[in-house]
Amino acid sequence: MVTHDDVIAIARLSKLYIAEDELDEMTKAMDDIIKFADTINNAADEGIEFDNINNLSNAFREDEVVTSYDREEILKNANDIDEGHFLVRKRV
Amino acid sequence: MKYEMVAGFETHIELATNTKIFCSCTTKFGGDPNTHCCPICIGLPGTLPKLNRQVVKYAIMAGLATNCEIANISKMDRKNYCYPDLPKAYQISQYDKPLCEHGYVQLSSGKKIRLTRIHIEEDAGKLIHKRGDTYIDYNRGGVPLIEIVSEPDISSVEEAKEYVERLQQIMRFIGISDCKMQEGSMRCDVNISVRPEGSTKLGTRTEIKNMNSITFIGKAMEYEFSRQVDLIESGGKVEQQTLRYDDVTNTTSSMRGKEDANDYRYFRDPDLVTISVTDEEIDELRKMIPELPFEKAQRYADELGLNEKDAQNLAKYRKIAEFFEESSEGIRNPKTAANFIIGQIFRRLETENDKEEFNIAISAQQLKELIKLIDDGKIKNNLAKTTLEKMLDTGKSAKEFISESDMAGMDENTLIELCKKAVESNPKAVADFKNGKQKAIKSLVGFVMKESRGKADAALAEAKIAEIIGG
Repeated sequence: MVTHDDVIAIARLSKLYIAEDELDEMTKAMDDIIKFADTINNAADEGIEFDNINNLSNAFREDEVVTSYDREEILKNANDIDEGHFLVRKRV
Repeated sequence: MKYEMVAGFETHIELATNTKIFCSCTTKFGGDPNTHCCPICIGLPGTLPKLNRQVVKYAIMAGLATNCEIANISKMDRKNYCYPDLPKAYQISQYDKPLCEHGYVQLSSGKKIRLTRIHIEEDAGKLIHKRGDTYIDYNRGGVPLIEIVSEPDISSVEEAKEYVERLQQIMRFIGISDCKMQEGSMRCDVNISVRPEGSTKLGTRTEIKNMNSITFIGKAMEYEFSRQVDLIESGGKVEQQTLRYDDVTNTTSSMRGKEDANDYRYFRDPDLVTISVTDEEIDELRKMIPELPFEKAQRYADELGLNEKDAQNLAKYRKIAEFFEESSEGIRNPKTAANFIIGQIFRRLETENDKEEFNIAISAQQLKELIKLIDDGKIKNNLAKTTLEKMLDTGKSAKEFISESDMAGMDENTLIELCKKAVESNPKAVADFKNGKQKAIKSLVGFVMKESRGKADAALAEAKIAEIIGG
């Protein structure tokens, strides 16, 4: 069972704010999601390696430098820029 | 009650690859902010990371050089946390299947510091806090790191320092990182707790983050040890938390409560495929591991007859070790090369960094030529010493400073004449010597050496002077 505390903890980690009166609804929704995911436990999974389902391995890149993007391109989507840096409000 | 320290290290080392771990941007240190970036390393949606082959190789070499088992199958995971140094809001790291496990680093006492694991991951961007805002530079974001996690086997500041130094030497010798702590290419997090001496139960630990100097690691550990002991002695309890060390006040302060692994919601990164390494590939990499500094020091002592301290000093830095080995190869007495390097060349290399860089004017072959002249009996040690100084000043070869007549040595009659002159010109030293001050004879020998411009044989001169004064 998902508890209010679980929901609050997950919200905190995700930097989300959940109001007191939303808690019941959120807790139930989270519980439903996890129950849904639980159905996978009922599947016949013996002998199946879920870890690497498509059997791919070793897609490597060689260690060769390619010219980086122009800074204007990199900063284009930023809300705030100063002295060539992304700028955000100070936190923690 | 007496307490003992229990510490474990998490050491991050930037790998010396040309490109970042998941994209082809350069890993060069510095550069204007946000100029070593692309959509992959600033975490834009829809981009796909692709793993740099060299990162896997280097990490396996680090594992082999520290006695780890290498995993044939390994994978990448996402470690989720929300902080602006991480544009994707997760770091790609390794969780339950790291590349290397169960290694150790041996200290000079013989004690083994066990390594839990070594895994690969991406570095975060750099944050600069000013004027109430946070400025972000993602040049470092995506630079490949290995994280070396030790068991809590370290029980003193001395052991901690030696552990870090040894890791640094090993990684430099195998050439996978420059391990420059001041530039941040090697950083340590120290987990530290205390317990009553003799107890086997672990106390609650704190973690001191991002230490970038061996001296400060020592100071921070000492401070944190007494803080925890004082806290327990006064009836308090140590709280599990992450600390920051302030080198100005020499104190630690709380950054945040320590996260548990499940707070990071680790899961496999679906964008990156399994890493598979065969035993044959591991063996190939094993062949690339050179003789390590402690093995070298041992060999210098056992086979070349150097004393332990000299052997360690020469073996500690890769370039110096190579220089020593080249200049002493095929020489009758390798100690001569060791003495020149430690006695004269080291004087020109003041800092650790100087020794690491080893920028000197002459080549190992030039030193070898000089030593050969001594070996062949053509010049005496004293002349060789002054010649070496000139060589180091100018970068020129020994032959430039030594004439044929220098190499001819000095016949006995000339030497006796010089000794007589020394005795006549220095009545005070002679009187001192006669009054039993044995050392006074050294200044007379010095006179002879100076007059002969180093050509005289000092031991022979001393014998002759003693004869003259005695007779």
